[in-house]
Amino acid sequence: MNILEIQNLQVSVMNKPILRGLDLRLGEGEIHAIMGPNGSGKSTLANILVGRGDYQITAGTIRYQGEDLIVRSPEERAMAGVFLAFQNPVEIPGVSNARLLKEAFNAHRRYGHLPEMDAMTFRTHLQERAKHLGLSDDWLLRPINVGFSGGEKKRNELLQMLVLEPNLAILDEIDSGLDIDALTDVANGINALRNNLRSMLLITHYPRLLEQVHPDKVHVLIGGRIVMTGGMDLAGRLEEQGYGWLSEVAA
Amino acid sequence: MNTPVTLYRDLFTELEKSLPGYDSLPLRGLRQEGMQHFMDKGFPSQRLENWKYTPVKAISQKIYHINNHACQGLDPSDLLPYLIAPLGVYRLVFVNGWFSQTLSDLHDLPDGVRVESMAKLVKEAPDMLEPYLKNKKSGSDQGFTHLNDALWSDGAYIHLSPGTRLERPLHLFFLTATSKKSMMTLPRNIVVAGADSHAWIVESFASLGHFPHMTNAHSTIVLHDHAHVHHLLHLGENHSAQHVGTVESTQKGDSRLDSQLFSFGGERTRQEIHVQLAGEQAECSLDGLFIGNGRQHMDFHTSIHHTHANTRSQQLYKGILAGHAHGVFNGIITVPPHVHHTQSNQLSTNLLLSDTAEIDTKPQLEINSDAVQCSHGATVGSLDPEALFYLQSRGLDASTARNLLIQGFAEELLQRITPKLVQNWIEKHFNKGEYHHES
Ligand SMILES: Nc1ncnc2c1ncn2[C@@H]1O[C@H](COP(=O)(O)OP(=O)(O)O)[C@@H](O)[C@H]1O
Ligand SMILES: [Mg+2]
Repeated sequence: MNILEIQNLQVSVMNKPILRGLDLRLGEGEIHAIMGPNGSGKSTLANILVGRGDYQITAGTIRYQGEDLIVRSPEERAMAGVFLAFQNPVEIPGVSNARLLKEAFNAHRRYGHLPEMDAMTFRTHLQERAKHLGLSDDWLLRPINVGFSGGEKKRNELLQMLVLEPNLAILDEIDSGLDIDALTDVANGINALRNNLRSMLLITHYPRLLEQVHPDKVHVLIGGRIVMTGGMDLAGRLEEQGYGWLSEVAA
Repeated sequence: MNTPVTLYRDLFTELEKSLPGYDSLPLRGLRQEGMQHFMDKGFPSQRLENWKYTPVKAISQKIYHINNHACQGLDPSDLLPYLIAPLGVYRLVFVNGWFSQTLSDLHDLPDGVRVESMAKLVKEAPDMLEPYLKNKKSGSDQGFTHLNDALWSDGAYIHLSPGTRLERPLHLFFLTATSKKSMMTLPRNIVVAGADSHAWIVESFASLGHFPHMTNAHSTIVLHDHAHVHHLLHLGENHSAQHVGTVESTQKGDSRLDSQLFSFGGERTRQEIHVQLAGEQAECSLDGLFIGNGRQHMDFHTSIHHTHANTRSQQLYKGILAGHAHGVFNGIITVPPHVHHTQSNQLSTNLLLSDTAEIDTKPQLEINSDAVQCSHGATVGSLDPEALFYLQSRGLDASTARNLLIQGFAEELLQRITPKLVQNWIEKHFNKGEYHHES
């Protein structure tokens, strides 16, 4: 079964069309990569999937686990298992990572009719995952993203993913600005969550991460449409040749 | 003509003999002087720069009655919701302006620390109090203070001998049991911290019941060399209450004052905090957090006077305003000529939760010396929609997300509260704060 089915999605920002008839199918347990030049609409797609408000959906459907996703609020989507690691996550002074994770985790538990996890067990749960990403314990007490480097912000997004264990994770340029070691940590984080039910969309510019994660498919998004779909060889070709050779297909 | 001013004069004539200190000629004189000033100047006019945003008429037009005796019949259990903690705190309770022995708890005060009811002490040692009761200010902006000079009822006198430490916080609790007959209470407190002494003092104000009442409070704090006083004010009266309060602090060399203000209640609340850094290396930190909703008016005025070289001050005031609430922050820093190497930082940041909430914030610097370091600033903003969306995208509903951001805004000030006992208590008040109701 497909966890995500997007058909003819058309999205505008302030009356400017950004996505112009996008189709995508993602099966359960699959990882797909989306590549494309800057400004092609990758982040727009990611934001639409988690219900961000400042976009107009002018046509098309999005089905998640067989049901209409567009009608749901951002928090309903989150609790139903949709997660976005933002390209540029916002800084939130005064609110610690631990606090957000606790509130979010317990909201998920309540949604699943599970009892809230007691403070001690949750602490251990958090610390294990932080360690997995090479983050120290006091990391959890720091305010969300405040003063974090680019790479630290990315790890923090992944930490949230590891704690919330989504069914559909969209990672928007999770590998941008990371050095090799950090990239390996990120790849390990992704692989740790991988199973035959959980699906992911990896938005990226580089094949480096894909080489460690082995996506099932690679899509190319240009001008608001998927213009080509292939495998790892396509990612390699894009790295070598850029997107120019595709502009005919895109037109 | 019966204006509020003449009515208070009549009230003074009627009550004078029963007010504490009448038997002492100098103290009687101070009260009469206060009444005379009040008669001359009346309530401050909104034409005065530092009263410009305060709805003085709305605060002073109503005639309040003044109680000249303690209120009986309160049970210690009535107090429980207001206490910092049942144990581990020294406590002086004042009901309707008067000390209540039965509700207070001063067990195990260390030697060298004297804590008394002013009304009681004034009978035993009037001479000791006189210098602290003398009000040196007499401008046309001093109306409420003069009324307190004339009509103050009771309050706490705290004296720390040199080198003494109060390990537990001392809670001065002012409770008004409201009734249809609207009452004004006029507490007066004196804190004298001897050289090298150290204390935590919490002054809190609350109402029993929802009827209108007024508080006109005055505290004097004197810090001698190397003394360190934490003074936390919690203003949490009911939503029909008017509160006007003043703290006057004088600091000698190397002393430190940590003033923290938390204002969550009242219909109209105005608090002034004036500090004189009158000794080298004296320093003070003034924190403030206020929350207004509905039609609440929250009004704060600080002044820091660096009279000596090498003194330091720091101020952080944060306002959270929802509904039609109105906030005011006005902070004045003065450094006279020839006073060098002072440091002063002042910041006022404000969060508006509705389009109809308002803040007037104005730093005022009167710096006539060159060799100083000074920074100041004011910001006004609303909740960051990006941050709200981020939290919602993690599964938090809109109202939880909103509350988390509001708490985040206040966090810095809540974190600075010591000891833990007091911090938990303020956090509890903050978390059931009025900003939760959208309006
Ligand atoms: N909130 C927004 N307001 C205005 N323009 C936007 C907004 N979000 C995206 N855009 C525009 O939409 C286009 C696609 O942007 P984006 O989805 O971020 O591309 P990508 O992630 O592929 O680089 C760009 O031209 C960008 O300027
Ligand atoms: Mg992008």
